[in-house]
Amino acid sequence: MSRIYDTIEPSVVNEEMLQKAIVEQGPQGVAGRIAQEEGIEFGEVTQLRLEFLNILKIDHLWQFTALTKLQLDNNIIEKIEGLDSLVSLVWLDLSFNNIEKIGGLDKLVNLQDLSLFNNRISVIDNLDALLGLQILSIGNNFISELDSVIYLRRFKDLRTLNLAGNPLCNEENYNIFIAAYLEDLVYLDYRLLDEKTHEAAFAKYQYVIEEKKHNEAQEQKAKDEKKKIEEELQLHKDAFVEHLNGPHLYESMFADDAEATKLAFLTGVPALLDSFRTQLVTQCSQLFEAGLTQHWKRDNEVKTFYTCHREAVIDNQERSAKIVAEFESARRQGMNELHHVTDPDMVDALVDQHNVEISHLYETLMNLELQLVDQLEDVIKDFERNISDMISAFVEHVQGVFAQCRDLENHHHEKLLEIAVATLERVAKNELEEEMPDDVRMLFVDKDTVINAVSASHDTHLLKIDNREDDLVTRINAWLAGQMRTMNVNEGSRNRKRISEILNYTDYVKEQLEILLCHEPL
Amino acid sequence: MEAAPERDLDIEDAPEQDDEVQVDFAQEALEELDRALSTVQINNSALPMPAKREELNNKQCPLSYKRNCQKEKLLIALAENFRRQFTHLYPDRKPLFLSPLNECGVEKFVSTTLRPTVLPYPDLFHWEGCTNFVSDFLSLEPLDPPTDPPRHLYSPTCVLQTQRGSCFDFSTLLCSLLLAAGYNAYCVSGYATKDVCFLNLCHQECPLLANREKGKMEEQAATALNYSVKPPRDLSSGFERRQEETRQKEVQAVRLKKQQEADRLQEELEKPPPDPLYGLRVHCWVLVKCGAREVPEDFFIEPLSGKTFPTTDENFLGIESAWNNHNHWVNMQDCRHGCTNMSFDLGDPIKWEYLLCGDTGQSLLLIPAMTKQQEFDEDEEDKEESKAFEMPPSWVSELHISQQDMEMRCPGGVKVLQYRKAKLEKFAPYLLKDGLLTRLTTCHDLDCTHVCIVKEWYQHRNDHLEERELRKDGNITLEHFRRGRSFALKSHRYVTLTPDSDREMEFYSQARADGLARRVEAGSEMTENFEDRPDFLFYRHTVFGKRNRILMPGENMEQRPRPLMKVVERFHRDTTKPASEDVEERVFLVSEERIQVTYHRDDDRIIPAWSIFTTPQDSGNKNTDTFAPDMASTFQVDPFQKPSKNLFLYETLMGLMNEQEKVAQRIKDSEKEVRAILELRQHEENTIELHISIYNTARNDKARKHREALERMAEEARLRREEKELDFLAPFLAQLGDPDQLTRQMALQLRSDCLADLKQRLIDKANRIQARFEKETQELQQKQQWYQKNQLTMNKEDEDQYLAFCSDAMFRIHIFKLRLSRHKDRAPQKYLALDEKLRRDPRLTPFL
Repeated sequence: MSRIYDTIEPSVVNEEMLQKAIVEQGPQGVAGRIAQEEGIEFGEVTQLRLEFLNILKIDHLWQFTALTKLQLDNNIIEKIEGLDSLVSLVWLDLSFNNIEKIGGLDKLVNLQDLSLFNNRISVIDNLDALLGLQILSIGNNFISELDSVIYLRRFKDLRTLNLAGNPLCNEENYNIFIAAYLEDLVYLDYRLLDEKTHEAAFAKYQYVIEEKKHNEAQEQKAKDEKKKIEEELQLHKDAFVEHLNGPHLYESMFADDAEATKLAFLTGVPALLDSFRTQLVTQCSQLFEAGLTQHWKRDNEVKTFYTCHREAVIDNQERSAKIVAEFESARRQGMNELHHVTDPDMVDALVDQHNVEISHLYETLMNLELQLVDQLEDVIKDFERNISDMISAFVEHVQGVFAQCRDLENHHHEKLLEIAVATLERVAKNELEEEMPDDVRMLFVDKDTVINAVSASHDTHLLKIDNREDDLVTRINAWLAGQMRTMNVNEGSRNRKRISEILNYTDYVKEQLEILLCHEPL
Repeated sequence: MEAAPERDLDIEDAPEQDDEVQVDFAQEALEELDRALSTVQINNSALPMPAKREELNNKQCPLSYKRNCQKEKLLIALAENFRRQFTHLYPDRKPLFLSPLNECGVEKFVSTTLRPTVLPYPDLFHWEGCTNFVSDFLSLEPLDPPTDPPRHLYSPTCVLQTQRGSCFDFSTLLCSLLLAAGYNAYCVSGYATKDVCFLNLCHQECPLLANREKGKMEEQAATALNYSVKPPRDLSSGFERRQEETRQKEVQAVRLKKQQEADRLQEELEKPPPDPLYGLRVHCWVLVKCGAREVPEDFFIEPLSGKTFPTTDENFLGIESAWNNHNHWVNMQDCRHGCTNMSFDLGDPIKWEYLLCGDTGQSLLLIPAMTKQQEFDEDEEDKEESKAFEMPPSWVSELHISQQDMEMRCPGGVKVLQYRKAKLEKFAPYLLKDGLLTRLTTCHDLDCTHVCIVKEWYQHRNDHLEERELRKDGNITLEHFRRGRSFALKSHRYVTLTPDSDREMEFYSQARADGLARRVEAGSEMTENFEDRPDFLFYRHTVFGKRNRILMPGENMEQRPRPLMKVVERFHRDTTKPASEDVEERVFLVSEERIQVTYHRDDDRIIPAWSIFTTPQDSGNKNTDTFAPDMASTFQVDPFQKPSKNLFLYETLMGLMNEQEKVAQRIKDSEKEVRAILELRQHEENTIELHISIYNTARNDKARKHREALERMAEEARLRREEKELDFLAPFLAQLGDPDQLTRQMALQLRSDCLADLKQRLIDKANRIQARFEKETQELQQKQQWYQKNQLTMNKEDEDQYLAFCSDAMFRIHIFKLRLSRHKDRAPQKYLALDEKLRRDPRLTPFL
C-alpha cells in the first residue's frame, strides 16, 4: 500500500505482534482456553494473518516452519525477504505493498497461490522455483511488456491469472495473446476464458505457438537423451567398467604420451598402432561385457537377499504384533477389573499376576527378536561369502584381461623398438628417404635418446593400464565393504529400535499399573 | 415298441373307416376313439401331459415314404442278399438290423433313413447342443421285447412330430443332426446295460452337483530363494514325536477301516439286483469318430441321456453293426469283453464287414492331402467302376423344427430326471409363472424321502432373482440376484423375511456409493464389510442393546432403532499419512462412554500407538469446561517424540464425538435399508412378474399389438392406393381384346377412343344440365302463364305459394346456369389433362 512514510510510523515484526496475532487467530472457546494454558508454539501454527500493520520489513518468521498460509497484505513491505524457512507455504498474500521487484521466493517450492496485487512491480521474474503455481495475481502493477507473459509458460498448473490494471492491458491483442501463450489458463482477470477466445487465439498465433512448442519439445528431447546417456554411464560405473566399451583406454594411453606422437611418424608405426589398437579394444570390450553380466548377477543377488530379509523380518514382526495385540486386549480387561476390585488381597494377587504376565511378554518378545537376529546374522554371512566369491572371481578375470593388455603393450613396445632401432641405423647411414619433422629427427641423434623415448612411452602406457586396473579393483572392493557396512548398520539399528520398542512398551505397562495402584487406595 | 405303432395305426384307421361306413356307426367309432385316447393318456400320466400333438396321418406323407424307387429296391435286394449270406455264415449271430419298416409300413434301408439337415439354430452346430436337444426333445419308448431290435424305424420327421421314439429313433435323429453339423458320426446298434437302455439315472451322480464340487485347486509353487532364513531350532524330543505319530496313524487306520467298511456296505445296498438279461439288451447309440470338426478322439454319445462316454466304457457290452448315410458295416470282432478292445477302423475288412463296395468309410480316415491325390486316380477308376453301387439319397424329407418347439424343448416343456439322491426338474422358459427354469432337489437317502437341499434357477424375473437355495436342515434360504437391483443386492441368506432376524446380505459394492460389500446380522450384532472406499474403511461391527420396551403412542416397535452398545470400525492403511496418525481401528464403547482409537503400525514396528478417551458426561454442551487431561490416555510408540498436546487431544476427542454421532446415523440408515429391502422382497415374492424383452416378439403383447396395428395400417394404405390407381385404360384395352403388346396404331386408336369418350361424357353432362335448365324454365313459364290467367281469382295464400315457387325456381335456374358455365370452363381443361395423362402413361408413351 502506497503511503507516505512520514505520516505513519512503520512497525516492526516482533514477538508481541506475533503472539497477539496467534492468540487472536488461534482456536476459540474451550480449545482456545486449553491452548492458552499450554501455550502455542510458533512451529505449530499453520495460518497467520499480519494485515494492516504497517510492516516495512518481513522478519522473525523463521520459526513458523509449519505455516501453509501467510497473509501480509496492506503493509508497506518493499522487499520480499525472510521467507526462506517457510517451506511448506501454499498460500502467500503480499498484495497492497510497495514491492518493486520479485525475489526471495526460491525456497517456497510448494506455493500454489501467490498474490502480488497492487505493488510496483514492472517485470515478472524470479519465480522459477514455484513449479506448482496455480493462481497468480499480479494486477495493479507497472508491467508493460506483453512478452513478459511468455515467462509464465513454464507453470504447467497455472489456471488463474490476474493482470488487470497493468499498462500492458491496453495493448491491442492483450486477451488473445495471453490465451494463445497460456493454453491451459482458465480464468484471466476475474473472467472465464471461453472457448471462443481460445479459438481466436489459436487462429491468430498458430504458427508462433507451434514453433515455440516445437522448440520446447526439442529441448525436452535433448534433455531426455542426455539423461539417458547419463543413466547408461551410471550403469557402467556401477558395473565398474565405464569407458571400456570403446577405444577410451587406448586413447588415454596415448593422450599424455608426447614421444608416441613423434614416433608415429616412423614408417611401419601407424600399421603397428592400428593393430595394437584393435587388439586392445577387443580385450576391453570383452572385459566390458563380462563386467555388465557380473553387475547384473550381483544386483540379482542383492535383490534376492533383501527380499528374503524383508520376508523374514515381516514374518517375525507379524508374530510379535499378534502377541502384543493379544496381551494388550487382555491387559485392558485386567485393568478394568482391577478398578472394580476392592479386596486388598485380591488386588495384590492380580497385580502379581500382571507382573508375571508382563515379564513373560517381555521374554517372549525378546526371544523372538533374538531368534530373528540369529537368523539374519547367518543369512548376512552367507550373502557376504557369496558376493565376495563373485567379486574375487570377477577381479581375477579382470586381472587376467589386464595382464593380456600388458602383454600386448610389451609386444607393441618390442616392435616399436625394432622399428626405432632400424630407423636409427638408416638415419646413421643416411639412407632415409622420407622427410621427418625436426623434433622427430632430434630423437635420432643417438641410440640412447631413441631407446629412452620409446621406453618412456612404454612406461606411460603401462602406468595407464595399471591405473585402470587398480581403479577397478579398489572400487569394487569399496563397494563390497560399503554394502556390508550398510547391511550391518541397518541390522544393528533395527535391532536397537525393536528392543527399545519392547522396553518402552513394558515400561509403559508397568507405569500404568503403578498409576492405577497409586489411585487405588484413595 | 412294436405294439405302440400298431395301436397308433389303429387309431388313425378308425376315423377313416367311419367316413366310409354309415353315420350309424359314428357313435361307436367315437367311443372307440375315446378309449384309444384314454389308453394313450395313462401311459404318460406321470408327467404333466403335453398338449396333444396331432397324430400322424399317413396320407400326408410324401410319396417317397410310401414306396421305394428303383434304386432303393435294388438296395433292399442287396441287403437281403447280404443278410442271407450272413445268417448262413454266422448262424449264431442275431439277425442284422438292415431294412426295417417305416411308419407307412414300407421297408427302408437304415442308411437312407438318416437325413442330414442343417437347421437354423446355433445350438445345433455343435455336438453338445445336438445331444442335449435330442435327449430333451424326445421321450423314450423302451424296446419290446428288450432283446430284439424293433421292427419299425420311423423317419426323423415323424419322430420330431410325435416327440416319442425308441433308442433307434433317438440315434437316427441325433446322427442326422451330427452329420449335418459336419461330424463323422455313425449309428451303432449293439448291446448295453439295463440302466442305459431304460434311461435309469438312479445310480449316477447329478452332473450339476459334480460341477459344483469341482473346485479350483491351484497351488502356487513356492519359489525357493537362497537367502530364506532357517527355521528356529526345534527343541522338542524327536522320539516323543515319533511315538505320537505312530499312535495317530493307528487311530487313523482304524477310522479309515471303519469308513471303508461303511462305504462297502452302502455300496452293496445301492447295488441293483443282477440283470437276467445282462448282455442281451439291444440298444442303439451314436459313435463320433475323430478327424472331422477337431474331434481329437473317438467317443460314444448315448442319445437317451445325452451323455458322452469313451469307447471303452463298460456300459456298452457289444456292437452288432454301425452305419452312416453312405454305408453299413457289420462288426466282426469279438465282443466278449464289451467294447474295451474294439477297433473302430471301419476300413479294416477283417474287423468290419462292409455292405456296399466302395471306400466311403475308408476315405474318411485318410488325410485330406492324400485324398486329393487319390481323387485323380479315382477319377480314372470311376470310369471303369461306375457300376459300383452308391447309396441312394435319403427318402426322408427335410427336417424341420419350429422356433416354439426349440424353446419348449421337452415334451410339454417339462422334464424330470431322477439321479442318485437327487431329482432334477427342467422347465421351458416362461412356462411357469415364477420364471422357474431348473430345480434340483438333493436328498439324504436313496429313496428321496428326506429332502436336504432344494436349488432353483430362475430366468427373466423382474426382481432379478437368479438362484435360490433352500437348506432344509437349518431352513436357510440363499438367494442370488443379477446386477441391477435397488440397493445393488447380490445375495441374501435368511431364515425369515422379518426384520431383526439373522441374515447375510451381499452387495455389488462397485454399484454402491458407500462401497458396502457384505452385511451380516446375527442376534444383536451387525457386521458390515466395505470395499474400495476413499476413507479406507473396510469393516464396521455393531453391537445393539435391547430395545426400550416402553412404546410411544403411535409408534411401531419394529421401526424404532435399537440402542447402540459398541461400534468397531477398521481402516486400511492410508499411505499419505504417517502411520502413527493413520487410524486403524476405532471402538466406540457407547455404553461405557469410552472411545478407543488404535493407529496403524509403522512398517518396522510391532506395537501400534493408541489413545483411549472418556467422553464427557454432558456431551450436548460442548463449550462447557469439561475437558481434563486425564480423560485421555495415550501410548506413543516413539519414546523420543514429544507427548501430544492437550489441544490436539481435545480436538481429536471432539472430532471423534462428531464421528460417533455420524456413525450412529449411518447404522440407523443401514437398519432402515435392511427393512426396506425386506419389504421390497416380500412384495416382489407376492407379485412375481416376468420380464419380457422388447425383442421377444412372440411374448411381448404390446410390441405384437403395435406391429399388428402397423401391418393393418399398411394394408389399408395399400388398398386405398390401389383404388386410386384404377386403370382408366382397362375398358379400352378390353375393347381391343387385351393385347400383350401395343402397336402404334393401337396406341393412337386407344388415345383417340379415350379422348372421344371423355369428350362425349363432357358433352353429355353439358346436355344434361341444359335439359334440366330448360325443364325448369319451362315449368316456371307455365306457372307464370297459369298465374296470369288466374291472377284475379287467387286468394292471398295461393299468391304467396306462387311467389315462393317462383323464387325457388329462379334460384334453381340460376344454379343451373352457373353450373353450365363452370362446366364449359372446365371441360377443355379436363380434356387437356386427360390428353397429358395419356401421353404420360407408360404403355402409350413409346408411341406418342
